[in-house]
Amino acid sequence: MAGLQTIVDYCNGMTINRRKVVGIQITRNEIPRLSTTPTKNPWKFQLDMPSSFRYSDARQLMEALDTLDRTGYQDITFSNNACLNWIFRYQGSLSASQLAGIRVATPNGFVGTTLTLTNLPAVASSRVLFEANDLIQIGSHPYPFTSTTQVLRGTGSTVTVTTHRPNIISTSVDNSAITVGNACQFRLFCPNMPVYKLVPGGAKYAAGGTLINNALIEWSDAFELYEYVGTS
Amino acid sequence: MENIPAVANSPPQVNNAEFVKITIYNEYGNTANTTVFTASSSYQDETFDSTTFLAAGGLLSVGGQQKDIRITSADTTVGLSGIPNTVISLVLDSKIRGSKLEIWRGFYNDNGILTSTAKRFTGIITSYNIEEDRQDLEDTFTVAVSASNYKTVLENRLASRRTNPESWQSFNPNDSSMTNIYSIATQTFDFGKKPKYVSGGSGGGGGTDSGGRPVLK
Repeated sequence: MAGLQTIVDYCNGMTINRRKVVGIQITRNEIPRLSTTPTKNPWKFQLDMPSSFRYSDARQLMEALDTLDRTGYQDITFSNNACLNWIFRYQGSLSASQLAGIRVATPNGFVGTTLTLTNLPAVASSRVLFEANDLIQIGSHPYPFTSTTQVLRGTGSTVTVTTHRPNIISTSVDNSAITVGNACQFRLFCPNMPVYKLVPGGAKYAAGGTLINNALIEWSDAFELYEYVGTS
Repeated sequence: MENIPAVANSPPQVNNAEFVKITIYNEYGNTANTTVFTASSSYQDETFDSTTFLAAGGLLSVGGQQKDIRITSADTTVGLSGIPNTVISLVLDSKIRGSKLEIWRGFYNDNGILTSTAKRFTGIITSYNIEEDRQDLEDTFTVAVSASNYKTVLENRLASRRTNPESWQSFNPNDSSMTNIYSIATQTFDFGKKPKYVSGGSGGGGGTDSGGRPVLK
């Protein structure tokens, strides 16, 4: 068990929050007035954990979470669990080898919310490269972006993807490779890191029928994971 | 009145961020020797007015900026994160009081590109405050710098100057206002007393001196 990745793997409910910092006012005549701040718009997940972990099985997990505490971050993915990898699954039609060849255009391949990709595979112009909500990771930067619209191959040497948030990566990403779908990584930390309570239960029987004392782990709260964009 | 194209014609939505610049003058009388600190609420570093505004500057809040038809005195406050200690070091290890504080608002298009900026405040930092807020296991540090606009600074007249040449010339070595002050050091004056003139002065016509000016009694 390895900390936040385990929490993702075993959670029994997940809330995804990508809401932005906004100002909303409704005028006297009920006309909305809106303002947004162009922040890094981090990913936020709320994960509900079951209270079914045995203490004897979860000691490594507890130590990993205590070590992370509320400040440590981890890179997690949704691809390493066969029961979980349908989340953020790639919806486009390219193969892994075709995707591996795609590069961010040079120069200024990712400006604002406009991501320009080049070195595209020779496939029919009607083929779908990305569907809306497909994740795209740039190089090794664990800060996924989503495609907000369907992107077709087209006939040009480049395609333009509109991402859900502007380019928050502070270094140049020109000519970087991309990772898509559930293989993308999220750099997350848990500002509210729940504590755990040992409650009666979870007893095991050793060979010979000996009862082994044990307990079940009860978490004090849901895990509210927050994208750690401090290193982006 | 400054015209801000980004908010002309009351658009229903605006995308904007705040930009703060603090110019610290390290040496009295040498405006070229400065340290510049910047911060913004934008997602990335932005460069305008020959300054790069850092997204990682730790900007927490920007206070109100009063604007009136007449020029009035108004203060504002900028809150900065004291984590890590770089901002605390900024206020403790530099000549922060007297530094120049400038605040802009930048406007973005829907693609997250900065399209225009408008300057909202220029003033001088008059004080700072470091606040440590520890409650249970929450321990945060906030640095707030308060700034006054130039009018307030001009209203802060220099006080405590003594009536002797040394005191006045400490501000301006060529000031001769108090050069003759020692000659009247022991004199008593009846301030407001009605003047009386000497009758039959020494020169031409009573009550005047040799130059024809009235002579006080």
